[in-house]
Amino acid sequence: MIKKNFIIIISICLVHFFSNNAQTVEPDEILKNQEQELRARNISKNIRCMVCQNQSIDESNAPLAKDLRILIREKIKAGKNNEEIYKFLTDRYGDFILLKPPFKLNTFALWFLPLIFFVIGIFIVFFHNKKSKQI
Amino acid sequence: MKKQLLIIPSILFLFILLTFFYLLTIERNPSELPSNLLDKKIPKFETESLLKNERFVSSKEFGKEIILVNFFATWCQPCRVEHTYITRFSNEKGIRIIGINYKDSPKKAVKWLSSLGNPYSDVPVDKDGRIAIDWGVYGIPETFVISSKGIIKYRHIGPVTGKIYKKINLLIKDIE
Amino acid sequence: MVPSLGNLALYLSLFFAISQFIVSRKNKNLKFISLSVIGLLISSLISFFLLMYSHVVSDFSVLNVFQNSHTTKPLLYKISGVWGNHEGSMLLWILVLTLFNYFIFKLFNKKNSVFILKTLEIQAFITIGFILFTVLTSNPFERMIPAQANGLGFNPILQDPALAIHPPLLYIGYVGFSAAFSISVATLSLNNSEKIPWYNYMKPFVATAWTFLTIGIALGAVWAYYELGWGGWWFWDPVENASFMPWLLGTALLHSLIIVEKRKSLQAWVLLLSILAFLLSVVGTFLVRSGILTSVHTFALDPSRGIYILIFIALIGGYSLILFGLKSKRYFDNNYFTFFSKEGSILVNNILMVVVCATVFLGTIYPLLVEAFTNSKISVGEPYYNSTVIPIMIPAILVMGIGPMLGWGKEDKSKVFKKIFPSILITAVMTILIFLIYQSYSVIGIVGIVLSFWIISNNLIMLIKKNKKYSISMIIAHLGVGLLILGITGSSVWQEEKITRMKIDEKTKIEKYTIVFNKIEEIRRSNYIALQGNFLVFDEKRKIITKLKPENRFYPIENNFTTEASIHTNLFRDLYIVLGEGNSNDGWVVRIYYNPLVIWIWIGALVIFWGGISSININLRKLKTLS
Repeated sequence: MIKKNFIIIISICLVHFFSNNAQTVEPDEILKNQEQELRARNISKNIRCMVCQNQSIDESNAPLAKDLRILIREKIKAGKNNEEIYKFLTDRYGDFILLKPPFKLNTFALWFLPLIFFVIGIFIVFFHNKKSKQI
Repeated sequence: MKKQLLIIPSILFLFILLTFFYLLTIERNPSELPSNLLDKKIPKFETESLLKNERFVSSKEFGKEIILVNFFATWCQPCRVEHTYITRFSNEKGIRIIGINYKDSPKKAVKWLSSLGNPYSDVPVDKDGRIAIDWGVYGIPETFVISSKGIIKYRHIGPVTGKIYKKINLLIKDIE
Repeated sequence: MVPSLGNLALYLSLFFAISQFIVSRKNKNLKFISLSVIGLLISSLISFFLLMYSHVVSDFSVLNVFQNSHTTKPLLYKISGVWGNHEGSMLLWILVLTLFNYFIFKLFNKKNSVFILKTLEIQAFITIGFILFTVLTSNPFERMIPAQANGLGFNPILQDPALAIHPPLLYIGYVGFSAAFSISVATLSLNNSEKIPWYNYMKPFVATAWTFLTIGIALGAVWAYYELGWGGWWFWDPVENASFMPWLLGTALLHSLIIVEKRKSLQAWVLLLSILAFLLSVVGTFLVRSGILTSVHTFALDPSRGIYILIFIALIGGYSLILFGLKSKRYFDNNYFTFFSKEGSILVNNILMVVVCATVFLGTIYPLLVEAFTNSKISVGEPYYNSTVIPIMIPAILVMGIGPMLGWGKEDKSKVFKKIFPSILITAVMTILIFLIYQSYSVIGIVGIVLSFWIISNNLIMLIKKNKKYSISMIIAHLGVGLLILGITGSSVWQEEKITRMKIDEKTKIEKYTIVFNKIEEIRRSNYIALQGNFLVFDEKRKIITKLKPENRFYPIENNFTTEASIHTNLFRDLYIVLGEGNSNDGWVVRIYYNPLVIWIWIGALVIFWGGISSININLRKLKTLS
């Protein structure tokens, strides 16, 4: 009997804390339509949790993350496409909310440079190969 | 040829060091985000009012005078801490403040305001947090400065401190 | 009393570091050098152990102990808590620096005296830099009078055995690169008329640094997987990247040093690379401790610390790079490598490791650049690194398969094909087999499986052939990489997840397993109370596999919650359960993960570590035959 009371008390304490600390994707959030749910998960995985350190809203416990997860699912059900949903979020929170940096003028170097590095690397290998045959 | 090759990485090295140095010496908070709505019109919203019978319609209230918008909740400890400064905006400076009650219990909010004092001209209720999302809010308290034309001029994340209080007052003098 | 002694020992170590610097520059008296080196080691040992003592006896008059400990903290974490904070970890950095300093000194003999003295001079400068930083900005012996009755405690998610030894292993890595740096700078500044084989001295340090960096990073990933509660183990967090970048350059160094030894080629490149590897290690330290960015890993933010480290980087970086610019000419050569040779494949490895390193560096600092030069903030997260790093790694791994089998100089293409034909066959067979078993077809999955079996089969063939020319440590380490790729592919591509709400006695299915929610109970430990769920796991034959017990813990002193996943591991998959919120009326949120092949990630890392240790042994033996 005492054990049951302990459990109730602990549950209440934890519920109180966890209600301000919702868990990652809860069962009640999951959409019935599997395809839509998959879309929601994929979009969520690309949205940064603004109050966490380096987590997506898909993984995060934070209340804001949960709110955004639900909002994304509502928009999917309402028929919005991915671009519209991303734009809705970046209009309000800026590009910072995207975990995958967008292709814009200020991220041109970010996306382009790795390719340049790789090409330079290939060039060096071919240069070496060619020079070695000359000797 | 090889000597010149080394100049480029050295310049890059220097450039990166100087950038780091610059970022360390300016005043910045690495975890804070600039509002994406700066110099844009406020997001329109319409919701019930905590203390009045009629609904709060943003298009009716903004665009006439300078207004401060303060997102708050009773369960938020820093909101309680900044309350004195919010009150000073209203009492000492005569600035109109609208307090948006974020994801809160209306009963608790009424009690909170009556015991601490109500500095707000209006208290629109944001029950599910969607209004906050429209404003790009990610952690309360957050305070916005809105110009008399309804343009967002400044956002502060976290409780208003003495420093921020001074900063906002100076800002209000400059804008109209 | 004890903390003051510790502080004294710290200042004493600064004194010895300065004396080592001066004596190795001017005096060159062996007795004085020996005194400085040993004095430095002993005084830093004493200061470190006195700090540890203060933590263990819970002396809260020491600010560091107050801020990071509590009487109820278990002894293991009282000890590891010494380096789990910024100030204490600096003492560990210094200790490892003085230890490696001693190892450098042990290499001293009549022939190499000038060279080793120069190396010791540079190493002393680095050590002075770190001790000064600690004394000026981060002294762990700062007092707090009057002492409080108890401390603030220690973040509970950091109270974990893997995380306890993760920093010391990483620091061995970074400090090992400091020794390689000193050797490089010494080589460049002397005219080396004695023809000292500097690369023979550098190799054991690089091997040690790389090996321990590998296991240190792996333990960090293990901790993340077991502790953070959603089955992830790498997040491209800036501080993770800070350890990954030196590792990449270390990998390149380890391989190109082979070419320097065997062919006396690429010497200038290796001298530069060893400078860059250490510079990146210090830049990593800067990113973590300066407050320039926030991350789960960063210590307390303090811009003044950042400015000091930046100045230190500017000094040693500027000096070493300028020195390289001026003096490296004599180390250039006109050897060029054909693609189809051992040297050629090592060249490809080096280039690709540097390209990946440059990309990770770009991604890590780019948000800072955007913030400094535009008025906006962007974030660079996991999707960026996945899109850029993985495509670059693929050719590197392909070359890694056949590279070791190629000979020095040119290799006959038909001979090579004969050597690799069996592994092509094995790879194809294993790939088809795996896909028949798992029944899931994804491009990245195929690529991963092909790459892992490509490496595994090539190395097994070399192992079977027992040819003396195939280094055994290389085979072991490469096999480890193959296993690692297998684990990474399996756990990323074929992960299954089930999120559901369960009441007591209800059951749910994932893959072929049935999971029954047995009961929920409260448990108490010395520093936490927890709600523990009991889940019974049955296979398709209704036989019980295991009992899983995930917990939600509350640590009252730190006022902090953690979620402890419960994991059942076997060679084929992990079953991973996390308990969410809930109550007896509505049931509890339960998240279940089916993670295939996860254990191969850890096995792979361990095998790589084993290969690294073997390499350290071989290189140390080689060094002994020199003197």
